[in-house]
Amino acid sequence: MGAINPTAYIILIARLIVSAAFIFAALPKIQDPISFASSVEGYQLLTGTAVLWVALLLPWLELVIGAGLFVPQMRRVSALIISALLLLFIGLHTSAWIRGLDIECGCFGEAASGAMDSYLWLILRNTALLMASLAVLMRDWKKPDRMRARPAAQVP
Amino acid sequence: MSSLIKEFSLIALLTSIGAAFSLFHGWSPLPWAEPELGPGEIQLMDAQALDVIWLDARSAEAFAREHIPGALHVEEGDPDAALLQLMELWLPEPRPIVVYCGSESCDTSRRVADQLRASLPEAEIYSLKGGWDAWEQ
Repeated sequence: MGAINPTAYIILIARLIVSAAFIFAALPKIQDPISFASSVEGYQLLTGTAVLWVALLLPWLELVIGAGLFVPQMRRVSALIISALLLLFIGLHTSAWIRGLDIECGCFGEAASGAMDSYLWLILRNTALLMASLAVLMRDWKKPDRMRARPAAQVP
Repeated sequence: MSSLIKEFSLIALLTSIGAAFSLFHGWSPLPWAEPELGPGEIQLMDAQALDVIWLDARSAEAFAREHIPGALHVEEGDPDAALLQLMELWLPEPRPIVVYCGSESCDTSRRVADQLRASLPEAEIYSLKGGWDAWEQ
């Protein structure tokens, strides 16, 4: 039995939180893409067909990469895409805040959103998730084979 | 590098399968299909179900010949001229305002609706899909 590595536990918790956030964000949007499309439209950056493509594909991408953080064959790129998406979301919320838009976030689907959460809270929340996903990304990048199955003889 | 490409491909494949599942189950509209309504448009049936204020954005001659009962005439170049009359109807009893022009292909009603939204930001303003032709049918 090896010594307990606190960093490994912190990374595991970060992985769990980011994964759960993306999976729970994806499920209501998969069930109700039309409401999500209307939230996307509210940002006034995309229109028409582009909005529908985003509403169709983004929730599934969120689900796949959220679960992918625990799948050895996908976890590095999942962490990379999650970090990129979180950066994008922070940029979108900042842009909407600056433009004074009064919109629904659309982050966790229509059901979970009442009035628009405060932009500051959304940006802080996504920044915290971004920090967590970057920690996971750096860990996975340094040790790409850490979570792959190992031969029984090598398992301590 | 090739393992990264494999990871990207796997994620793209699973996302596509999920999206196809949504389309197959009818959860999502087809993104490539022509949308039934453009932004700010309303169907005649929906407009008739609501008690709306009609604004006719066709020419003065066409308006004089025939128009939707109770409609006000509005000139595209000068929508503010109709604003006073519109306010007399809308202020005591705020309700949706629907602008129409000649047909499906005309764009005047959409432009007038945009101008009116700037003048009356609190009002619910639509342009009628299909225009006067839809009414006549």
